[in-house]
Amino acid sequence: MEVKQGEFVAIMGPSGCGKSTLLNILGLLDDPDNGSFMFNGIEVAGFNERKRAELRKRNIGFVFQSFNLIDELTVFENVELPLIYTGVKSAERKIRVDQVLEKVQIMHRRNHYPQQLSGGQQQRVAVARAVVNKPKLILADEPTGNLDSSNGNEVMQLLTDLNEQGTTIVMVTHSEHDARYSHRIIRMLDGQTVLENIMI
Amino acid sequence: MIKQYFTIAWRSLAKNKMFSLINIFGLAAGICFTIVIVAYCWLQLSVNRDLKNADHQYIIQSDWKDKNAGFDLATFGPLAMEMRRQYPELVKNYFRFDGVTSNVSKNNTAFRENIQIGDSQMIEMYGFKLLQGNPATAMREPFSAVITEKQAIKYFGRKDVLGESITIESFNGSKKEFRITGVMKTPPPNSVTFLNRDNDNQIFLPENTLSYFGRDLNTWQNQHIVGYLELQPGANAKRVGELMKVTLSSNISPDLASQVRPYLVKLTDYHLGKENASVKKMLYTLAFIALFILGMAIVNFINLSISKASERMREIGVRKVLGSSKAALIAQFLSESVLIVFISTVLSVGLYAFLRPYFNGVLNTELPEVFAYRPVQFFYLFVFALVLGIAAGIYPAFILSSLQSVDSLKGRLGSMQQNVLLRKALIILQFSTAAIVLSSALLISAQVDYFFSKDLGYNKDFIVTAQMPRNWNPEGIRKVEQLRDRFAELPIVQNATVSFEIPDGNISGSSIIYRFGQDSSQGIAAQILSVDKHYLDTYKIPLSAGLNIDNKAGSLLNQMVLNESACRALKLDPQQAAGQRLRLVGWGGFVGEIVGVTKDINFGPLQQKIAPQVYADVKTVNIYRFISIKLKAGNIPDEIQTLQNKWASLLPGTPFEYRFMDEMLAKTYETELQLKKAAYAATVLSIAIVLLGVIGLVAQNVSKRAREIGIRKVLGSSITGIITLFLKEFIVIIIIACLIACPIGYLIMHRWLSDYAYHVAINAVPFSISVGILLIVTIALIALQTFKTAIANPVKSIRTE
Amino acid sequence: MIRLEHIYKWINNGAARVFLLKDVSLTINEGEFVSIMGPSGSGKSTLLNVIGMLDQADEGNYFFFDDAVHQLKEKQRAKLYKKNIGFVFQAYHLIDELTVYENIETPLLYHDVPSAERKSLVADMLDRFQIVGKKDLFPSQLSGGQQQLVGIARALIIKPKIILADEPTGNLNSKQGEEIMELFSQLNQEQGVTIIQVTHSEKNAAYGSRIIQLLDGMIAEN
Repeated sequence: MEVKQGEFVAIMGPSGCGKSTLLNILGLLDDPDNGSFMFNGIEVAGFNERKRAELRKRNIGFVFQSFNLIDELTVFENVELPLIYTGVKSAERKIRVDQVLEKVQIMHRRNHYPQQLSGGQQQRVAVARAVVNKPKLILADEPTGNLDSSNGNEVMQLLTDLNEQGTTIVMVTHSEHDARYSHRIIRMLDGQTVLENIMI
Repeated sequence: MIKQYFTIAWRSLAKNKMFSLINIFGLAAGICFTIVIVAYCWLQLSVNRDLKNADHQYIIQSDWKDKNAGFDLATFGPLAMEMRRQYPELVKNYFRFDGVTSNVSKNNTAFRENIQIGDSQMIEMYGFKLLQGNPATAMREPFSAVITEKQAIKYFGRKDVLGESITIESFNGSKKEFRITGVMKTPPPNSVTFLNRDNDNQIFLPENTLSYFGRDLNTWQNQHIVGYLELQPGANAKRVGELMKVTLSSNISPDLASQVRPYLVKLTDYHLGKENASVKKMLYTLAFIALFILGMAIVNFINLSISKASERMREIGVRKVLGSSKAALIAQFLSESVLIVFISTVLSVGLYAFLRPYFNGVLNTELPEVFAYRPVQFFYLFVFALVLGIAAGIYPAFILSSLQSVDSLKGRLGSMQQNVLLRKALIILQFSTAAIVLSSALLISAQVDYFFSKDLGYNKDFIVTAQMPRNWNPEGIRKVEQLRDRFAELPIVQNATVSFEIPDGNISGSSIIYRFGQDSSQGIAAQILSVDKHYLDTYKIPLSAGLNIDNKAGSLLNQMVLNESACRALKLDPQQAAGQRLRLVGWGGFVGEIVGVTKDINFGPLQQKIAPQVYADVKTVNIYRFISIKLKAGNIPDEIQTLQNKWASLLPGTPFEYRFMDEMLAKTYETELQLKKAAYAATVLSIAIVLLGVIGLVAQNVSKRAREIGIRKVLGSSITGIITLFLKEFIVIIIIACLIACPIGYLIMHRWLSDYAYHVAINAVPFSISVGILLIVTIALIALQTFKTAIANPVKSIRTE
Repeated sequence: MIRLEHIYKWINNGAARVFLLKDVSLTINEGEFVSIMGPSGSGKSTLLNVIGMLDQADEGNYFFFDDAVHQLKEKQRAKLYKKNIGFVFQAYHLIDELTVYENIETPLLYHDVPSAERKSLVADMLDRFQIVGKKDLFPSQLSGGQQQLVGIARALIIKPKIILADEPTGNLNSKQGEEIMELFSQLNQEQGVTIIQVTHSEKNAAYGSRIIQLLDGMIAEN
């Protein structure tokens, strides 16, 4: 498969079809056993852990179904983490984190802990964390799975906005509703892509 | 219900193998150690308890005004017998003995043995069992002997040796056959046949044989007899003590009587209180250590249980929702802790059996084998394990059962956070302990090494000593000096000397000396050393003034050399002392002339200050025991062989039982060497426990935060970054612990070292080393554990169910 | 059966007071099948916990049949919910160290039911849910749907008057979810078990007879 810069692609399929595995490979969290994977013109299949980590932290943001925030850190500190790991200085971190917190409208909960937020709010924080490093690519694994419909829609809208500003998004979902936000749907079954729908 | 508790407990243990194993091993080590110490203490406490009428058995001790003037262990010969004669309504029985060492042989088997010559009622008075022979008559005939079964095997290879005979040498060179009239079963630990290390007697001769050795029990001149009394039920020991003083005063000079106070010590108390209560002190120390180690193991257990709690919160919440009462939850957790403790206890018994020989060495004792214990003692162990299980588990049980169910279902820590502080405090406690124990072990080791290396002022390298057959008369002295010269002629020998004492820390007695012209009330107590003219040379004892004793024929006055302490005590200037004359009390009007002064040399254990010493010529004093031979540096085993051959040719029939001076020093410092061994054992143990605790906690911490580690990795953290995260938490703890440990460790060691008149200085080195070791080991441990999770694929840990 | 009057529950967040439940009053009768719905953070789970006596309201009255729950001590409340309420969780919350049989049996142990009776009750339940063949398996060996079945069996074994279910199908796929909802429906209609469920699926809510909408801790629709 191919994903062009600026696309918003949805990957769908029944449980166990390989969606998440594919996402992990795209996210450089896992290595394919066979085949070639070009990321931004670089062949990354066969990269060792360190190289993958380096590439990943500078270029990819993640949004998970279960948010995956660190409970012992505040909202601010959670969003700040990727910047710490890419060596951004303290003063600049503060500015950039506040910026994205504003964007996802969670500024008023800046110093709260994840347990004090509702599901939808936690996911907004997760999205903020995913974009704070201005990644080229966002990978979302069932981003609305733990959310009710209105919250879910909010998150999908957020992603759409990001995409319109130029971020490439690849999303795994089993919600047809959510898939409609994308440009293209790739359907999988038993580890293979079987169908592709172009939306709009 | 209980059944389900134990089922779950078992499955829970099996599920968390590592946590369980750590807990079990830590506890097993602690419990094993406790068992050993309890066994040892019980052994020590039961010394003398198996004697007949143990509650009424006493030993006579002497409290001398001047500690150097006499032995506290000995008393006047006839005293015990007199007390029985005069006060039969208070004293039921008495026993006295004189201990000698001589050559014993049977055909070709010859050894130097400790022999106890005493009143014949010993066997019946104390209820010693005879395998052969009649207790009532065994010690009646002159030249009869009762020997222990061990000795029977040693000399005859079998135990049925009634009627056989062994040969015993006297102190004037003659030998005589003694008929064996009894074979004694190995006696229970007691202070009659085994008064102390130097008086482990296994051959018993009746009192009427004493004259063969040139001694007399029944004269008041003999102050070196060990005396025992059996009091009538109801008799007051203190009163009897006062009566002894009265009896003494009517039989010896009022001068002497004023110097000493005899008193009774109950035998059952004696063993613990002897030698400055060294046994009692040892028991307290060991008990303290055992409690401590057990405490640390429990602390580990509590720590691990509580930190594991976060994984069990969900289960706790579910159970509450399903209707469990707090009591039921507590019961569940207690059954788990009890189960773990039981398993640990079983394991510890196995450890005990395995490590028993090692412990025997460290404690210098013979611990019973596992199967030697009675069933009731296993029952005590069972109860102990039960109580321990409950004690260890009660606190975590309360914590866990008090969690709010709703919070726990949602995985919220809630009130758990407060306990983080407690757990950190516990870890700090463990670390401080390990640091203190380690630095103390290092210091003890340094001090013990100091004993052996301190430039003590004399030289004992390559000096071999052996006991010569005794012949205490001028002819015998002449002969022995000739023998000495024969040895000195050997090319491998540098020096040889004959003396009564050697510098092994054991001085057998002191006498009062005073300046000629003054009276004995102005005398001082000094150690009299009977030596020949080669002694100072052989041991390289330096003179600070005057000359060595020189047995120029025809000198009118007996020549003596004093040490500086003696001079000072007599108010003599060492430089002016030569020519002064001295009188010795109790040596038959001995008058000596000072010809030289030596520097102060420490012959005794380094606990004591240097005592006043007088070297007198062996020819005038007429007693000797040892020959000391200084070998030239070279192939020592070969040189020993040469000596052996020479000895055999010069002294046929006499065993050449030689010792190196270094070995003897080891004997002097036996307690300290034991302490050093024990300190290291304690160190290993406490470090092991601490590390087990750390492993457990880190493992818990890491698994709890596995998800967080995964997230951080996804977000770009390096592996070092992850490891540092965990290190940071522990390093702070360790540093605090070390800051606490250093002053406490310093205080403890300062106390211990100040018991010794001569000791190493305490500096920062042992503390830095122990802190350093702990830090490095802990860091390595943490790094290793976190590394595994840190390099794992983050996808695995952040995957939800 | 259940009557809530002016229930308030809040948490103190520094200086501010955040209401989880604000002036909630409602009545639920025996035999009803109620769904509580609302956006994330609206207080659904909190309400369920209060009804289930796992949590206590800060203000207001709660009557469970004739008992004034708000006045009861912890121990008495525990007795009450233990006897009358069965809980079904989104994450099943089975005890991993116990087999299916033992999981279902556990509530009976806390009710001091004698061994012979326990055996027969558990056997009945296994039969009813057709999981007899799985009775010796451990939760980790079952699929999500099967685990939830066990969770429900466990909740039912004490014959509670009311079942409280918190997003019971949240971790299941659509087919499994349907099966569970059918089961609930059956329990409610054929056996008169009162059911209160929290859900954000309109499909699930359709199985019930009433929907209560929560928003920001208050009832928006009933």
